[in-house]
Amino acid sequence: MTTLAYADPSPYLPIFFMILAAIGFAVLNIAGSFILGPKRLGDRKGETYESGMTPIGTARKRFNVRFYLIAMVFLVFDVEIIFLYPWAATYTLLDPGSEQSLVWLGRILFFLFTTVVAYLYGYRKGVFKFD
Amino acid sequence: MPDFIREHLTSQLFVSLHVMAIVIHIILGTVTLCIYAERKISAYIQDRIGPNRTGFDFGLPFLGFLKGFLGLGQALADGLKFFLKEDYRPTNVDKILFTLAPAIVIIPAFIGFMILPWGGVWDMPLMNLPLIGEIGGERVYVTGAYVNVGVIYLVAVASLGAYGITLGGWASNNKYSFLGGLRATAQMISYEIPLGLALLATLLVAGTFMPEGIVRWQVENGWLILAMPLAAVLFYVCTLAESNRAPFDNAEAEQELVGGYHTEYSSMRFALFFLAEYAHLVTGAAFFALFFLGGYHLPGPGIGHLTSPDTTTTLAVIAKFLVLFTKACLLVLLAMLIRWSLPRMRYDQIMQLGWQSMIPMGIVLLVVVSCMIYLDWISLPALLAANVAVFGVTIFIEPLLARLFGRATANRRIHLYGSRFMPVPGTPVITSPTNPMAVEDRPVQGTVSTS
Repeated sequence: MTTLAYADPSPYLPIFFMILAAIGFAVLNIAGSFILGPKRLGDRKGETYESGMTPIGTARKRFNVRFYLIAMVFLVFDVEIIFLYPWAATYTLLDPGSEQSLVWLGRILFFLFTTVVAYLYGYRKGVFKFD
Repeated sequence: MPDFIREHLTSQLFVSLHVMAIVIHIILGTVTLCIYAERKISAYIQDRIGPNRTGFDFGLPFLGFLKGFLGLGQALADGLKFFLKEDYRPTNVDKILFTLAPAIVIIPAFIGFMILPWGGVWDMPLMNLPLIGEIGGERVYVTGAYVNVGVIYLVAVASLGAYGITLGGWASNNKYSFLGGLRATAQMISYEIPLGLALLATLLVAGTFMPEGIVRWQVENGWLILAMPLAAVLFYVCTLAESNRAPFDNAEAEQELVGGYHTEYSSMRFALFFLAEYAHLVTGAAFFALFFLGGYHLPGPGIGHLTSPDTTTTLAVIAKFLVLFTKACLLVLLAMLIRWSLPRMRYDQIMQLGWQSMIPMGIVLLVVVSCMIYLDWISLPALLAANVAVFGVTIFIEPLLARLFGRATANRRIHLYGSRFMPVPGTPVITSPTNPMAVEDRPVQGTVSTS
């Protein structure tokens, strides 16, 4: 473990290159089929597909509020999980059974308790009911 | 080669870039073969033969010996056909987003792979390469990117694909696409939570966030699927739901939504959505193999030593790579078997499973595991017993929760006074049609109770 190339200042560089490669792949593919494919335009062909019927209005209309509720509740839980990960990173380093470990455990149990209260509130309000 | 590049080109970066270049081809190759395998497996399950004619002869007489070939040329033929199809864009779409959405979908699908430890640690021999000069002579990680956040990176990029799907659905300006995009997004973000919880419980047991450390824990203590079966099941179900795979493929439910978010897409732009779905599937399978199936390690005499994290020869790197890749492929095949065996779930059942069943299970599992770590009870049988107990208890708690908390709706329905649901006292209520033709069909007349 002495000569591991561990302290590299830029371990994220390959990910950056991978993103570039993925963008290149996407652009090449989209451009490729745009250039190679035939182009036959038409008024009826350009219409929105609605099972062959003449489209009624646009899709830019109001939709079910449940998706909005799900998004809000997701925000609560996702932020909770974001907080849990740094906690876990430290908690696993502590000695099991030590006093400090107990403090860390108690903190996260309280934190999870508040989340469970939020969860039960959402449950009671019918956020998770999709019927 | 310019000096500033040579200065920053460490052995680790050199290896990482090569792994990256190989991994791109592995993703694309696996994904194209996945489509072939999917068609073949579905054919065998439904007692058909599947693609069996397309070879590599391209219709040329002197290549006739490549004809047939189990239909393996199908993947190539499909890809070429995608290129040569019309790249049609309906007139009323949001032009910029409609073009961008497939690209936004494919990028997260590509970069999720980067932290997989394909070959463990490698004692890189000192090499003298043209252009670069001397490189190597030290230990490197054979992985796309050895980032010190470890698997948090996976949690960060795994669900970025939801953006592209939402944008694709929105930009199409089609009701089917829009609903499909909404459904897909809601489903993906919902299943991200149990995925995060199950993964966190597993990482607490392994005691590290680094992929190398997770493999090492499993080599020393046994595979994590034995220690954390419940977490494994949650994780696998979530990876299926995250990649919009059956039985969770409601976003593209043909009976209801035609093609879902890619209804309006054609040619290669459609193919990018398609590729991204399979790439997510392969990523999920590879990470499942890493977290729960021992990663690149395979127990057994000989091979157990060869693929252990402490063996750092070149042969070991190749063996580890093959082991991890084989495990991932087998898991992909399992996902395909699931797809063609189980019927699609209804959308409200999917959301119910995610929110009312898997999230409580994940939270309880997390609490139990963190308490067990405090008590230092992290032996394999204790964890297995805890997992089974958590599963048994939450299965009983969840109907109770639904009874206690599930009854109320978001808004109490208030009926309009004077309507047939809340009539003025004393007035007769007509609940069936007054047209004699219709009454003949449904001769029911009565009053609605107002209690």
